[in-house]
Amino acid sequence: MINSMIIGKYVPSDSIIHRMDPRAKLLLVFIYVFIVFLANNSVTYIVLTMFTLVLLFLSRIPIAFILRGLKPILWIVLVTFLLHMFMTKEGDLLYQWGRLAIYEGGIKQGIFISLRFLLFIMITTLLTLTTTPIEVTDGVESLLAPLKKLHVPVHELALMMSISLRFIPTLLEETEKIMKAQAARGVDFSGGSFSERVKAIVSLLVPLFINSFKRAEELATAMEARGYRGGEGRTKFRQLTWKPLDTFCLIAVFVLAMILFVLRS
Amino acid sequence: MILSVEKLSFKYPNQSHYAIQNVTFQVKKGEWVAIVGHNGSGKSTIAKLLIGLLKPENGIIKLFNTVLNEETIWDIRKRVGMVFQNPDNQFVGTTVEDDVAFGLENNGVPREDMIKRVREAVQQVNMEEFLQHEPHHLSGGQKQRVAIAGIIALQPDLIILDEATSMLDPKGKQEVLETVRHLNKKQHITVLSITHDLEEVAKADRVIVMNKGEIMAEGTPKQIFSLGVKLERVGLDLPFAVKVSNQLKQHGLPLSSNYFTVEELVDELWTLYSSK
Repeated sequence: MINSMIIGKYVPSDSIIHRMDPRAKLLLVFIYVFIVFLANNSVTYIVLTMFTLVLLFLSRIPIAFILRGLKPILWIVLVTFLLHMFMTKEGDLLYQWGRLAIYEGGIKQGIFISLRFLLFIMITTLLTLTTTPIEVTDGVESLLAPLKKLHVPVHELALMMSISLRFIPTLLEETEKIMKAQAARGVDFSGGSFSERVKAIVSLLVPLFINSFKRAEELATAMEARGYRGGEGRTKFRQLTWKPLDTFCLIAVFVLAMILFVLRS
Repeated sequence: MILSVEKLSFKYPNQSHYAIQNVTFQVKKGEWVAIVGHNGSGKSTIAKLLIGLLKPENGIIKLFNTVLNEETIWDIRKRVGMVFQNPDNQFVGTTVEDDVAFGLENNGVPREDMIKRVREAVQQVNMEEFLQHEPHHLSGGQKQRVAIAGIIALQPDLIILDEATSMLDPKGKQEVLETVRHLNKKQHITVLSITHDLEEVAKADRVIVMNKGEIMAEGTPKQIFSLGVKLERVGLDLPFAVKVSNQLKQHGLPLSSNYFTVEELVDELWTLYSSK
């Protein structure tokens, strides 16, 4: 149950977006984040929204999944919208109620900023929905590889990420087990006052931490026994392949950037 | 000689008694040797010493006729595979194939070669349907078999099982032991199993019994099981079938006691009964 919340975000499919190289997707999202700020009038926002919707359509991900991803941030979007609506004093005065005044520019600005927010979240959700965590890790490792020259431990970081990902379900399982064991000893996790709840959580966290350290140590021993001694001289089993499709997608983003640059006011 | 240990002694820091004292034994190529002992008998310490995770205080460990030391350790580790107790804490990869490939990656095996060897190794432990599976969708026995696959992909000469079946259910234990038996008989890979489970011991060619850091007895499973009470005194539990037949023999039944499993005991009992 809890599993699906955290890493079950990936929706398997065989769409163009799924088949893209994770490096291309990461770069695309990275560039997109900057491009979003180029949009500053209706035309540019419409172009940007169209582009994003085309990507969503190509991913063949049910719209429900995207909406679920947007749900947690709806409040922030709403607050942003209201804030901009009331604070921006430009254009015609539309409505006045005491000291609160709504101007045409305010509504426009509110819509723009909220839309920017929504597009931003949509594109990152799209990344996690179409890319497995391990692909993201591989992509990051590959993109950051040049930093190795600056003695950034890129390989180690990537390995840490992939091991963390691998152990999330294991630790969740363990959490469940400990909760049951503690509940059997009379710990109440669902009720009670605040301080009682904190105490209950502590009874869960302490064994969980101790076990995790034990695990880490055993894992390190097992890795060493299997000949692990750092990234040097290591080959990789998983391989990323850059396809013409990936180049095309990146070009598309650059074209989008240029269009936005021309159309912005 | 695959492995020879001479006068090995080891003491953990800050402890007064020796965990291992004056231990000498040898393992020949193709053999299955079991080291048994109660908790704290020093058997797991031996495993860690053999693969260089701990350094002996005294004595010499020779693997493949090479003395184990700082310089030779990585070459030796390439030829020795070790399966640990906890199935989860030795699963490094995010999927079965990634985990099997881990050891190969460490040794810089080219990718094309890797794909082939991963496939072969996974086939040998009968896990080929699970190549893409994630560890939390596997049973303990399956995870241990993946661990074994990760080891045989490196084509080792010696496999050390360090209590590899102690956390498994009976079915998982059978699966793992069956896989190891197959490797031992068909591929002639030498096996050293460290265990407190006397059913696992029954599968070995030779048994070394440890008690308080020293070797107490050495011999074939049959010889060892005939020690009876002595074994129980050092905290080891005889297999159920052996216990029953010992008791029956005390009551005057002419049993041969050449068996360690319940089925074999039942077979002998009914043949005995019908021949009366």
